[in-house]
Amino acid sequence: MDYTNQKHPQNYSQMEDLKTLDLEESVSETIMRDLRMIAYKLKYVLIPKEQEDNGKELRNWDLWGPLIFCLALAMTLSFKADSTTTSSKSDVFAIIFVLIWVGAFVVTLNAQLLGGKVSFFQSVCLLGYCVFPINIEAIIIAFIGSYLPFVVKLIPVIICFAWSAYSSVGFMASLVPPHKKKLAVYPVFLFYLFLSWFSLIV
Amino acid sequence: MDFGIQNQTDEQQQANKEPSNQNGNEGNKKQTGCCAFLTVEFYTPYFNVTETDVLQRIQGTFLPLRPDFLNLIRGNPDLWGPIWINATLIFMITAIANLRQIDEEKENQSFVISYVPQATALLYIIAFGTPIVLAAVMKFLGVDLSFFQTICLYGYSMSTLLPITILCYFQNELFLWLIIAYGFANSSLFLIINLKEELDKLQIQKKYIIIGIVVTMQLSLYLFYKLVFFSYVKE
Repeated sequence: MDYTNQKHPQNYSQMEDLKTLDLEESVSETIMRDLRMIAYKLKYVLIPKEQEDNGKELRNWDLWGPLIFCLALAMTLSFKADSTTTSSKSDVFAIIFVLIWVGAFVVTLNAQLLGGKVSFFQSVCLLGYCVFPINIEAIIIAFIGSYLPFVVKLIPVIICFAWSAYSSVGFMASLVPPHKKKLAVYPVFLFYLFLSWFSLIV
Repeated sequence: MDFGIQNQTDEQQQANKEPSNQNGNEGNKKQTGCCAFLTVEFYTPYFNVTETDVLQRIQGTFLPLRPDFLNLIRGNPDLWGPIWINATLIFMITAIANLRQIDEEKENQSFVISYVPQATALLYIIAFGTPIVLAAVMKFLGVDLSFFQTICLYGYSMSTLLPITILCYFQNELFLWLIIAYGFANSSLFLIINLKEELDKLQIQKKYIIIGIVVTMQLSLYLFYKLVFFSYVKE
């Protein structure tokens, strides 16, 4: 088999074949491959049209993407917390970080307890990838937020919150029995609402 | 925990290792033994509700003098309510306590993020710790208390705080103290009336110990609320 021609695999399982070459390729190639994988998954999760096979691609879960977005969000929000506020930068960073991971854990646990048969890390992976729109709105508000009145700031916040929630709700709702759907979906809303609200206020 | 569908071989190995690590059993799902309460399956029966059930139970807490609530949860106490009502409250406390301060000082925006861990600790310790204390005390006094029913009771009693938190946005001190007092009275009455069934099994003097514990915890919850989260904001 000739691996050198498979530089841009169509799906993740083709990437598996390339793993044997890990030690022989340069560091930049490895990093680029991981970044491409994250970008691929991100497109898959956030753009509904790509999901023709009902979430089967999510079986190849990874936690790099969620970690990157979580760190980016925590850093963006903690940069804005300066000496005029009563909470220090490290407080804000720590609380956002813990909030994202514990929140994802608890929301997934909730879905499992309601009877959903889902792989734990698959769900945490999905919730982590859907934090990306919140990242976008945090960056927008961090840069141009001080020049805008409160009401105008609400517009990107609401759009990004709706985008995050809509992307993850479809997956979550399909996991549990129909009469418990709202009980599984509400925590997801609460989770993204909390994060969106932080990016608006800090 | 159930790690679900396995595609890669290392994930398969991890899943096969999981059951054999649990408590020396053969790897079957039903774990009996001292650590059964650490598995997910142990708690699944307590999530057997729908959204209409949850809403009805929350409504049942607003009028404590009517004994609807016990009839609603009889035989089917749930844990979804306690966990997520408290989570909603944590969000609302952080949101409203900070909104109050933002409107006041335009230049010096003081955003307090420490409300999140404080609220989490306060709410979950009171909602889950007090039933544990009550169960221990009742056991000591010789009566068995149905543990999950009490947790359910306590969790739903927190729903009185939902409208109160929203109303705490207003700056009027007298108004705040009034609604805090109302909330305290409402939730204490709710708890005592619904615990009455179990309390009647005790003697009169011992009843007051339990009532005392309940009232003290509620008082500390509401005082903490007022003094820490929604304290007086200088004009």
